[in-house]
Formats: sequence, structure tokens, C-alpha cells
Amino acid sequence: MTGTTLATRRAPALGSPARRRTRRRGRRILYWVATHAIAIALAIMFLAPLVFMFLTAVMSSNETLTGELWPRSWHWSNFGTALTTDHGVMLHWLLNTLLYAVLATAFMLVSSIPVAYALARFRFRGRKLAFVLVITTMMLPPQVTIVPMYIVWARFHLTGTLWPLILPMLFGDAFSIFLLRQFLVTIPAEYADAARVDGCGEFAAMLRVVLPMARPAIAAVALFQFFYAWNDYFGPLIYTKPDSWTLAVGLSTFRAAHHVEWNLTMAATLLTVLPVMVVFFLAQRVFIQGVTLTGVKG
Amino acid sequence: MAAALTARRAPASRARRRHRLRVLAFLSPWLLGFTLFFAYPLAATVYFSFFRYNLFQLTPVGLTNYRFLFKDPYAWRAIKNTLWLVVVMVPLRVLFGLALAQLLTRIKRGGNILRSIFYLPFLIPPVAATVAFVFVVNPGTGPVNGIAAKIGIHLPDWFNDPDWTKPGLTLLALWGIGDVMIILLAALLDVPTSLYEAAAIDGANAWQRFRRITLPTISPVLMFSVVTGVIQTLQYFTQAMVAANASQGNADQAGTTTAPGYPDGASLTFPQTLYNEGFQQFNMGYACVLALVLFVVAMFFTLILLRRFHAFGDDD
Amino acid sequence: MSPRPWRLITASIITAAAATACTAGGQSPASGGPKADAPQTIEVWHGWSAPHEVKAFEDAIAGFHRLHPNITVKLVKGQDDTKILNAIRGGNPPDVVSSFSTNNVGQFCSSGALQDLTPYLKKDKVDLNLFPKAVQDYTQYRGDRCTLPLLADDYALYSNKALMKGNPPPKTISQLTALAKKLTVRNADGTIKVAGFIPSETYYEHVPEHIAGPSFGATWLTAQGRADFAADPAFTKYLQWEKGLLDWYGYDNVKKFIHSMGQEFEASNPFEKGKVAMAIDGEWRTKFLQQEAPKVQYATTPTPVDDARANTYGGGFVTGTIIGIPRGARHAQASWEFVKYLTTDTDALVTFANGLGNVPSTIPALASPNLDLPPQFKTFLDVFKNPNSSTIPSTINGGDFIVKFQSFVQEQWEPGKVTNLRQGLQGLDKKVNDALQLAGG
Repeated sequence: MTGTTLATRRAPALGSPARRRTRRRGRRILYWVATHAIAIALAIMFLAPLVFMFLTAVMSSNETLTGELWPRSWHWSNFGTALTTDHGVMLHWLLNTLLYAVLATAFMLVSSIPVAYALARFRFRGRKLAFVLVITTMMLPPQVTIVPMYIVWARFHLTGTLWPLILPMLFGDAFSIFLLRQFLVTIPAEYADAARVDGCGEFAAMLRVVLPMARPAIAAVALFQFFYAWNDYFGPLIYTKPDSWTLAVGLSTFRAAHHVEWNLTMAATLLTVLPVMVVFFLAQRVFIQGVTLTGVKG
Repeated sequence: MAAALTARRAPASRARRRHRLRVLAFLSPWLLGFTLFFAYPLAATVYFSFFRYNLFQLTPVGLTNYRFLFKDPYAWRAIKNTLWLVVVMVPLRVLFGLALAQLLTRIKRGGNILRSIFYLPFLIPPVAATVAFVFVVNPGTGPVNGIAAKIGIHLPDWFNDPDWTKPGLTLLALWGIGDVMIILLAALLDVPTSLYEAAAIDGANAWQRFRRITLPTISPVLMFSVVTGVIQTLQYFTQAMVAANASQGNADQAGTTTAPGYPDGASLTFPQTLYNEGFQQFNMGYACVLALVLFVVAMFFTLILLRRFHAFGDDD
Repeated sequence: MSPRPWRLITASIITAAAATACTAGGQSPASGGPKADAPQTIEVWHGWSAPHEVKAFEDAIAGFHRLHPNITVKLVKGQDDTKILNAIRGGNPPDVVSSFSTNNVGQFCSSGALQDLTPYLKKDKVDLNLFPKAVQDYTQYRGDRCTLPLLADDYALYSNKALMKGNPPPKTISQLTALAKKLTVRNADGTIKVAGFIPSETYYEHVPEHIAGPSFGATWLTAQGRADFAADPAFTKYLQWEKGLLDWYGYDNVKKFIHSMGQEFEASNPFEKGKVAMAIDGEWRTKFLQQEAPKVQYATTPTPVDDARANTYGGGFVTGTIIGIPRGARHAQASWEFVKYLTTDTDALVTFANGLGNVPSTIPALASPNLDLPPQFKTFLDVFKNPNSSTIPSTINGGDFIVKFQSFVQEQWEPGKVTNLRQGLQGLDKKVNDALQLAGG
């Protein structure tokens, strides 16, 4: 699907066939060169900061302050130092981050899918209101409710842990509900109806027929949630203490703790980025499959 | 819908009740969540806004917190900055995302690699991306301004110059364009090829095809990008805060707090004011007032967008 | 579902929840927890982070382990006031906290974030006169003693002997200004190669409280505890001197110089690198110089004072690290034993002071023959005892007035955005007073 491009769909223009062909080919080559040149230039700009990060990560600490581009000597051990510094505190942050990201994603899926399904499939009074309210909660910046929420979690003695960020995911995530609902609406009702005719209950129809069709959307929502948790700074900044710091909060203090040892900070940064990149490259196929699926269905 | 079709007159009420129960069951997680994490805190925010509250002592102060809002120099600065970001950063992100997605549909070989490259920066945790970005464009130590100077371009001192801080943050946001791009790319690929073929037979040119086919087909997704873009900007916090701390010379000293929004309040966003008042100064009552302002603004944008897109395009 | 019952349910839950939330501020009496001789682990948060600093702390508490083998101490480094306050307010605090700055003592004490230590002090009959008078003052707020001093810091002028080219260290502001200009070496394009003295408040420790108070005699607040920036001529004098010297260098040149220098607590510090001839800094710099730049020859002298106040020469800015027990600490008894040991035990303080290069905070420790510090350190001991030394007042919202003044200097005054200084300072007064009022001060 990604291979099909607009360029190949170009329409034949008017004019004599022979002239048309040469002119078209000339324009095509020009067009090809232009798009590829732009794309490559952009790609270099997108990668440059990462390359600088990497080059800084392997420099010696003094060299990072000189504004030099290329390391004079390569200090691969910086990665090891970043990992093991402070009794391997980065690994501790990693475990916390994983706890947060994995549980939040799992809880979100369990709670949000039925809600999205109901909003997409069922007709009931207040359905529109419910959907508008979902959008409203989605629009709502987390800071709006943070003060009372903080007070509540403090009463349960759960501040200082990641639970105030994980537990709410058991009660549906507005963004995910919205996105799933938008996708589920596009699946023709006949599929679920057919399943019900075969004697399935509504829940079974959802699980067996509709959800497999919605797999790309579910995967996308799960990935978004996972990345959201992985990258979240505001939540852990408010709720956690050093024991329960995630990588995001830890990294922000890493810099202060290591003063301007930019090489170590950049090494730690790259190590933080790495797992997310692995997940992305593994999950990329899910994305593409999702895109293809929508194409087939449309 | 199915229930309504199959149910006939006599067992109608029973079927309706069953249907209601089913709806309730499916919606129950959200109903609970809505009550616990939206309705209650919102009501409590209103309640606390009439108190001076530092989490230890709760003192009723009437409208003092509301009156302070009009005297608070930080709040007004933050409102202006946040509006700037909504007006400049959101459209730029959507346009740039659309342009990249369009570009990607035109690249045959290596399209996958390019897509990954454009998406990659979005995956970098914002804290890390911001620290790295500030370092990279720092005129003193970073390589970017140095390289630009060599080819004769004088780049500003991004995160230390009040005039260039928000453009710097916008640049950072454009680097992390991945989310918008991938959503728009999926939408573009979803446009049925047959439509283009039909248009081509009618002799439509590229712009006409884009106007008449691409744009209408992807408009719900464009709308979605704008909506989420505005949401993200209203809660824009991490990058602004980390950039300010990373670029400020004396931010490393433990125990010292500095005025928020370095330099000169240029990076101060509204959520940051709220964080500063609520969780650094512990004027939690006043933070509730700020939260309510944020809520009103967010609602305002929600309503505009809800109307603008006819309650999200698709309807029953 | 029909909307009516749904609305009813929502409404009732909201009211129920709101009702419970009102009592969220309720406090259970502290001082619970296990007895001090039960086996337990206490968590101690502190702000130090450099390796030699962390080691110094560990060394200092070795004696405590011998004294109380049942108490395990878990030190958590690199904490600041925001994190401390967050943890306390969240109801999940560590057992002991220490802060580098006295700025927030008012907030710590008045809000009850840190426990009043008076009952503990009375029970164990600790005599507060163990601590010098100034130190006693800055560790309490309006009679509420919620912290004790853990070592002290003061400030003086460091001068690099090689870069001074035989000139004696300045004693007055006019001498300092003249020398700063004389010793500055510029590059061909006018940028700074070696600076005599960087007046900008963004230069590490050249913040206003270290200069405006001790050198110009600024008093920060009126007797009523209100901001006094416009009325107190010392601020105007300080600002005009600061800006005058800054403009002599050129604002952009100074900015460039400051961005190019490394972080404060590391070997790339410009004083350690020989890039500035004179700098006001804390006593701990002696230790950093010993560790990171042992070859630099330097002298220390008291902070230069305004010519009109030449008789006050010898004093300086005094502050200190404070330590206290959060409300809600789970092992309050053991925590007290730890705080008592660390703040009053002469050997512990001397070990710690030696390790950090800090000023000990008790009179016996100040007199201890075991203090093993470089000769330049003597200046700091003298400044500490000098009656002209001063610190900043405590307010209910911590160091907010300083933060606001600093940002005014850094972001408006230094770049030259202030056209009418008096009006600017009046505006600043109003901002500070509004914020004080909001916090209930």
C-alpha cells in the first residue's frame, strides 16, 4: 500500500502521444529529483540532533563544552558509566517506567474498548452527550484537576508512588475511547449483527468479530498509551519520589547530578530512547497492517 | 439499534431494559472514571478556590484568590504565551505534518526508512529531547549555531533570548512532528485510489485533486490533529520547563528556586504557572483558580471545534 | 439510560467526595513511630551531590552507626526544597530532610511542614547557646524552631594571585570596580578573555543577596515584613553600580562569557580555570579548589563594601544548611537522635566540615583543633564571627521576594529594559507584597 504513490496514478495529459511521453518523462524526472532531494535534506535535518547527541555521548567530558563536532577520542565506556552510576539507578528508573507504561496500557485497553464499542454501536438516550463528555475530558488538560486529585491520593497515602497515574487507567482513557470509537464507527454494523444472528451475545460479538477487525486501531491506541506513559513528565513530577522516579524525571535530575557532564547525560538519553525505538520498529508492522486494513475495508 | 429493530411491541419494555443494562455495563468503567476523575475534582476545584490551602491549613478567604488573578503578573504572561503557541505552533505543526505525509506518499523506494526517520524524534522522551535540543543549539557549546555561522548565517541565542524562546520551542515541536505526520499519512493512504483515477479521467490537476478529493477525505483526521494539537498546547509544560531550566545558567544549584519562565517569562506557559503556584508555592487555593481558568479556556476551544466540525463530522 | 438518575448519582457522589475532601487538611499528631532503640531504617534527604560531598556525609555519620547500631541510615542525595515540600505534603515524607538554603525556613515552620523541635530539645536538654546567635536566628521563624543548623556557609572574595598581578585584594566597591577594569583582558573583537570581576547576578554566587546586603547594606523587608526595594536607597546604589560595570564590559560580552563557562560545581568553573581574577564565592570553593585545581594560587578576603560603609568591612553573607524532621515522619524518635547527633556532636561536625570545606555550626566545633582546612579558610571563620555579617529575613512564602528581585535584575535591569528604576522597583514591591498577602503573610 505504501508503495502505491500518487506519481504512478498520474493521468495522461493532452497532446500528441510522442511529445506527451517525452515531456511527461522529463517532468517526471524533475519531479522525482525534487521530491527526493527535499526528503533527503529533511531526513538529514531530522537526524542531525540525534547524531550530535551520539557524538557528544562518546566525547570526553571536557570536550563537550568546546562546541567541537567530532570527538577527538571515543569514550564508549560513557554508556556503561551512565548505566552503572549511582548503583545502577537508571535501571531502577527503567523498572519504574516499565511498571507504569505496561500496567497503564493494559488497564486502559481493558476499560476503554467496551466504552468505545458502546459509543460506536449502541443507540441510547444520552449517547451524544456521553460522547461530547468524552471529548471534553479528553480536551481537559491534566492540570485542571491536579490539585484535588493530589489531595485525594495524598489521603490514600499513594503519593510518592506511581499508582495515582496507573489506577485511573482502569476507568477508561478519554483519548483512547475517542480514537477507538472513531475507528469502530467505520466498521459496518452488519458484521456484529451477523455474529449476533449466529447466537453470540453483544460482548462476544465485540470480542470475536469486531475487535479482530479493529486490531490496528487497538494496537495504535496501545502504543500511544505506552509512549505517553514512557514519556510522561508532569505526572511523575507531581506524584513520585526518588524511589519511584521514572526515566523522564530521573533524566531531568541526571543532568543536575552530573553537572555538565553532557557526555553522560547524552549517553543516558540515548539509552532511554533505545527501548522505545526497539518497540517502535517491532510494532511498525502493526501500523502498516493497520493502514493496509483500512485501505481494504474502505 | 439492533435491539430496537428486533424488539416488537409487547416485549419492548423488557428488551429496552436489557438494552439499557447492556449499555450501562459497557459504559460503566467510563461512568465511574468520569465521576471520580472529572466531575468530582472539578467540583472540588471550585470548592478549594475559595480557600487558602497549603495542604496543612484550610482557611476560607472568599474571593481573594480570584482577585489575585488580576494582579498576578505571571498568569497574564502565561496566558499570552500559551495563546502564542496555540496560534502559531498548532497550525505550523499540522501544516508541516501534512506536507511531510504528502511527501512520503510520493517516495517509492526508501519511503519506509524516511517515515521512520521523521517519526523517530517524536519517540524521544520530551525531557531528553529538550535537554538535547537546548544543548545542540546553545551558541556557546552546541554545534548547530557554530555550523550556521560557518556558512554565514547568524542564528539567535534561542533559549536565552526572550524573543526567540517560543520560536525555539516551536522548532523543537516541529522536530517531534511524528505523531501528526503518521496520523495524516495513514489518512492519505486511506484515500481510495479509484477516486484519484476518476478525477484523473476528468482531467483534474494535482491541486484540484488535493482540494476535491484528498482534503475532504482526510478532513476528519485533519480536524483530529488540530483538536489534539490544541489540547497538547494548552497543557504544554514539559518542554517549556525543561528548556528554561537547561538554558538558565544558575539553575543547577540545589535549593534555589528561580522565577518561572526563563528568560523573562518568555517560556512561561499556563500549566507551569499552575504548577508553580500549586506545587512550589503551595497556594493551592489560587492554583484552583488558575485551574478553572484553564478549564474555561479548554472548554472554549472544545466548543469552537465541536461547532466547527459539526460534532465531529460523523453523526447518527 | 435516562439522564435523571444518572445525574442524581453523580451529584451525590460529588457532594460525598467534596465533604471528605474538606477534612483532607486534618493532621494526625506526629512523633509516633517506633522507639529510638528499635531496629529500623530512616531515610535522610540532602542536597549534596559531588562525590567528595557524598563521601563526607557518609564519614560524618559513621559515629552515629556506632552509637545506634539498630538504626540504618539511608542517604538520598541531590534533593531540593521543592521535592522535599512535595513529599511532606503528599503525606509520604522521608524521616529527615536537609536543605541548602535558609530561604524557606519561614515556609517550613509556619506551615508545619517540619516539626517543631522544641519538645525534643527540652526532653534531651540541648542548650541552644551551643550555636552562634546568627545561626540560632536563621534556623527558626517567629519563635518556631523547626530546623537546626547543619554546618554554615559564608561568602568572601576569592582572588587569583597570578591574575591579580601584584595588586592587593580590594576592600571597597570603588577599588573592586577599578581593579575589575584594570585586570580584564579582551579579545580582538572586544569579547572577554579574562574578566576582572563579573558583576552580573547570573554569575554563580554573585546573586543580589550576597552583595546588595553585605556590601551596600540593603535591608530586604520593612519592620512590617513588606518589600522595601524602592524606598531603600541601597538597592538603587547596588543596581547602578552593577549595571555600570556590566555596561563597561558590554552586556552581550558578559552574556557570552557566562554562557561559555562551565557549570558551577566542577573543574570548568572559570575561577578554577583562571578566567576570572576575582569572584565572590562560598567557603566550600576552597575544597573544590583543593580537589579540582590544586595549582591555582589564591587569596581570600572579606567581601568589598560600599565606600560609604567602609567601617563595616570584614562581614559578609552568612547562611547555612538546615536540617529538620518532616511532619508525618514514620520514625520520628530515631530521626531526632540522628538530627541531634549530626547537629551537636563536635566530632561529627568537624569531620563533615573537613570533608566539605564548610564552616562548623557550633561554638565547640568552631574552636576544635581538629579542623583541617586550607589557610585561606580562616577568612571565612572570621567573617562568620564578624558582627557586620548578615543574612536574609524569612517570610511565609520563603524566598519569593528574592526570586522576584533576581528575575527583575536578570531579565529586565541587566538587559537595559528598565527606563525608570524607581517605578520598576515600586512595581516589584507591589508584586512581592501581593504574593505575600496571597500566602497569608
